[in-house]
Amino acid sequence: MLPLLRGLLTTLKSMAEKPTTVSYPEQKRPVSARFRGRHVLNRYENGLEKCIGCALCAAACPADAIFVEAAENTDEKRFSPGERYASTYEINMLRCIFCGFCEDACPTEAIVLEDNYELSFTDRKQAIYTKEMLLNPVPAQGKPTPQQVEPGVFTRSVPEMKDPTD
Amino acid sequence: MNTLAEKYPQDIKRILAKYPPEQKRSAIMPLLFLAQRETGQVSPEAVQEIASMLAVSTTEITSVMGFYTLFHDHPGGRYRLQVCHDLSCALNGAETFLEQLCRHLGIEEGQTTSDGLFTIEAVPCLAACDKGPVFQLQGDGEIVYYEKQTLESAKALLETLRQRAAGEVTP
Amino acid sequence: MPKLVNLTINHTRVTVPEGTLIVDAAKEAGINIPVFCYHPKMEPVGMCRMCLVDVARPVIDRATGQPVLEADGAPKLSFGPKLETACTTPVSEGMLVVEDSPKVTAARKDILEFLLTSHPLDCPICDKGGECPLQNLTLGYGPTESRFDFADKLHHAKRVPLGELIFLDRERCIQCGRCVRFQEKIAGDPVIGFYQRGRKLEIQTQTQPGFDSIFSGNTSDICPVGALTTADFRFGARPWEMEAHPSICAQCAVGCNIVFNTKREARSEGGMAIKRVMPRQNEAVNEIWLCDKGRFGYHYLQSGERLTRPMIRQNGELVPVSWETATDTIVERLKTGRSGLTVLAGGRLANEDLFNLKRLADAEHGKTLFYTHMGGGDLTGQVGLAPGSNLATLGKGDAVLVVASDLHEEAPIWWLRLKQAAARGASLVVLNPRATRLDDFAAISQRYHYGRVMDALAALFAGEAGQVLSQAANLVIFFGSEGLGVDGSQAVAQACANLLIRTGHTGRPNNGLVGVWSEPNAQGAWELGYRPAKNLTAELAEAHVTLVAGADPAGDDPALAETLQQSEFLVVADLFMTETAKRANVVLPALPYSEREGSFTSGERRVQRFTAALPPREKAHTEAMIAARVAARLGLKIEESLPVVFEKLAAETPAFTGLSFDRLAETHPQKPLLSREDLYYSGTAYENTAGLGCTLALTGSPAEAEPVTPELPAPVENALLAVPITRLYDRSSTLVHSSSILGQRMIGAEVWLNPQDAAERGLSAGAEIEIHLKSANWPVKVVINADVPAGAALLPRSVGIPAFELAALEI
Repeated sequence: MLPLLRGLLTTLKSMAEKPTTVSYPEQKRPVSARFRGRHVLNRYENGLEKCIGCALCAAACPADAIFVEAAENTDEKRFSPGERYASTYEINMLRCIFCGFCEDACPTEAIVLEDNYELSFTDRKQAIYTKEMLLNPVPAQGKPTPQQVEPGVFTRSVPEMKDPTD
Repeated sequence: MNTLAEKYPQDIKRILAKYPPEQKRSAIMPLLFLAQRETGQVSPEAVQEIASMLAVSTTEITSVMGFYTLFHDHPGGRYRLQVCHDLSCALNGAETFLEQLCRHLGIEEGQTTSDGLFTIEAVPCLAACDKGPVFQLQGDGEIVYYEKQTLESAKALLETLRQRAAGEVTP
Repeated sequence: MPKLVNLTINHTRVTVPEGTLIVDAAKEAGINIPVFCYHPKMEPVGMCRMCLVDVARPVIDRATGQPVLEADGAPKLSFGPKLETACTTPVSEGMLVVEDSPKVTAARKDILEFLLTSHPLDCPICDKGGECPLQNLTLGYGPTESRFDFADKLHHAKRVPLGELIFLDRERCIQCGRCVRFQEKIAGDPVIGFYQRGRKLEIQTQTQPGFDSIFSGNTSDICPVGALTTADFRFGARPWEMEAHPSICAQCAVGCNIVFNTKREARSEGGMAIKRVMPRQNEAVNEIWLCDKGRFGYHYLQSGERLTRPMIRQNGELVPVSWETATDTIVERLKTGRSGLTVLAGGRLANEDLFNLKRLADAEHGKTLFYTHMGGGDLTGQVGLAPGSNLATLGKGDAVLVVASDLHEEAPIWWLRLKQAAARGASLVVLNPRATRLDDFAAISQRYHYGRVMDALAALFAGEAGQVLSQAANLVIFFGSEGLGVDGSQAVAQACANLLIRTGHTGRPNNGLVGVWSEPNAQGAWELGYRPAKNLTAELAEAHVTLVAGADPAGDDPALAETLQQSEFLVVADLFMTETAKRANVVLPALPYSEREGSFTSGERRVQRFTAALPPREKAHTEAMIAARVAARLGLKIEESLPVVFEKLAAETPAFTGLSFDRLAETHPQKPLLSREDLYYSGTAYENTAGLGCTLALTGSPAEAEPVTPELPAPVENALLAVPITRLYDRSSTLVHSSSILGQRMIGAEVWLNPQDAAERGLSAGAEIEIHLKSANWPVKVVINADVPAGAALLPRSVGIPAFELAALEI
């Protein structure tokens, strides 16, 4: 008799509990602070791209998932500070293992693995994310790239380190 | 009468005669001195002319001009104060000295005072490393070294030079 | 045999010839002493102080002159008070060099810390990043952090174009002077120099156009930082991303060993593309240098205008068809023919193509004709350079004669090597109608009037120069085609061959006749039995089926264009829709040498192998393959596989006996040793691991013969003498589409006149005029040059004006 009552008690208790099932996609669980989801390419506040097309992410990538091609900036058509920008930037999400090495290798903190984990494709080609798809939207006070800028302002590719230990 | 050959035919002949024909390039420096005799600077045309005279490239001539503090490719005042700011002098306070001197004259490094008297230039080693801060004064056809300088000693010199210049204007 | 010296480096005992520098001795022992300013091809200057080492020498007893011994009997060693530069200190007997002591390590650390005080931290965007000596040495020997203020670094405008080919970044320069020394000592063009001193020091150029040297690209190879970068490769790729494919430069007859660096690129839909051309060490050919034409002129290889499909003419229009249809069309025609196949081939085809085409023509009772504007190749096969030749070993007691050629323009690397030979003491004799850049190094330099070359040669041989040449231990003769046609250059070659035979300068290494051809494989064509037609127009008019490969006769000469237009059946295999191809019945897309393997025979008779750098473009085939396919449809067996074709070729051609692709791929250690894993030692030139090539054996028994001098054109009143010359930046058949980067230096249709001739005709430099030549008018631009002899009008070849030999020209 007692075991039966104990069983019923458990049932009664759990009736009061909230359901643990998350009804995705209507509901989404927050991810942890250090979650490594889909990459984004960041911009500076003025809208210039942080990516300088150095391809160090591609070099660091153990899965050879990143393809970068660079070109030269001019002050009339400036994409990023300094001389070089990424004219092509592609990540093959089917190859990516989300290890975050690209983030580590990036000298300008341009590429960051963000929260987005919704990566599904019906076609292999769709798995290739282009620069347009990866780039963050232009911030409110910024302008879209390419920008026409004052000559001699954005001469440095890598931002000056205020505190090298940072 | 613009080319050197037209202006100083005798001098050029004399200078070239000093060197064997296959070592004509040795005449670069004397000819550069000749070129800046009148205006205190060597014009690009003069560089071109010396280059063709000696059959060397204009790049070589410009390199020689750049190496020595004695040749000038831009105009300056009557007196050029060339302050050494290389390592040994810098350790002896040449950078501060240069800054003070500029402030005293109210100009930046490389500029000339409005009366056209003084130009301050920061130059590399003048080979007086134990006596910094050092500057050399070029003007009135002379080159004089002033060693172990302070702002006061330099001020006194500037005053003397100013008086010398003023003396010429009102005898 | 130089005296050998024993010394110890760290703990390794080394024996090297006397006079070797410590840095090179260490390299021999496999110990890498870091350097920046030192370069094994240049005199040491000891400017950068990176190579400081601790050196101990045996103590000598002054009284006896004998080494002082320690208690254990070993010689007593004494270290110097200061570190010494390994790049300027020669080795001496019993020396001990320590390069791994704490003292040395500390010195290196300090040098690097100083260098980095003003070097920017832009490795991520620097083209040198990844193959940068400063980057590597900092990682290997540098301090982990700097004590200097970051804000105190030099700040200059980043990009200073020295010319349109080379960009300077002054912040990155570490003032080693390699570029300046290279230009002055090796290239002989002191067009860049230092300006200012100390921290203000920068590299400058004053020439117009800037950095006016045809060897400028090499400075970016030897620059130990990213201060000098090429406009062509700028941000093209990171060094580690690229593949390296060994090849041979096809811009002239020197046959420089190169590497094509390739990478996938977005513009080619993710396909591979050539990103840059780099030199590959071959001390017997190009050492580690390249001229700018070879380095920057490769763009035509991947032009979008290349032919992509076979085409046949239907109702007057060329329409794309399949290879089967195209081959069938040719075969049908051949079967119905009354006579055979006439092959007209140019010198840019590979040996294998030429061989297969010849076999096809032979099987079809046809003819093989060589399309060339210069003769004498049959003689270079008999009295050419023998195996074992190397221009770098010419020196005191040897002589070189250069006739009718401006080597600086026609074969820059040969010019460089002859300049060096002269510096080593070889007697250089130059016989040319006008002043050339080689005159500066010549022991004897003589001029002649255009058209009088044979008399001039006879006079030269009879005079003082003849003595020098005939008494030389070794004699090499370079003959060109300045102002000469096929017959004229044939006569010059014969006269030179006669001298070589008469004075016993044949059949030995470093002796012989070299033709300054403008195509990479002209010598190969001659060796394989291709000969120019006596009368090309007649041959083409008579031909039943004509196959033109690797040549554009219609583009060169309107008269030939007319003939080809009328030809019975014309097949053209080429990369582009040339003037000849436009007149063809069948057009076949060929593969450039960057997309296939094969071999070229250089002017020095060195057979060298190239490999495919890129996958072949769809629907294009090698000429060898085309011949094999046609043969197969005719029921003949001709091999397709290129290594097999080459074996067959070697078996059937005496000069090639014993050669195979494997033999061509053999290498042996070369001196000086280059960078291997250490990039800093000699720059980014590639070590040669793909083959040094083999020099052909000499065949036939050379005999003197009377040169047949062609007749001069009849003098026309008030006319100038049209003189064909070869220029470096012309639109030669290999540079069909001028690469954009060399665009500014490419020449168009122009005529070079003496100032007096120009003045008499009221012409000024740059004037657009029309000249009357071969009963037609040609628009040209006037160039006035004081080196042009009076009465001559120099016309660069391959810019569309049919000047192939001396002719009368009216303005």
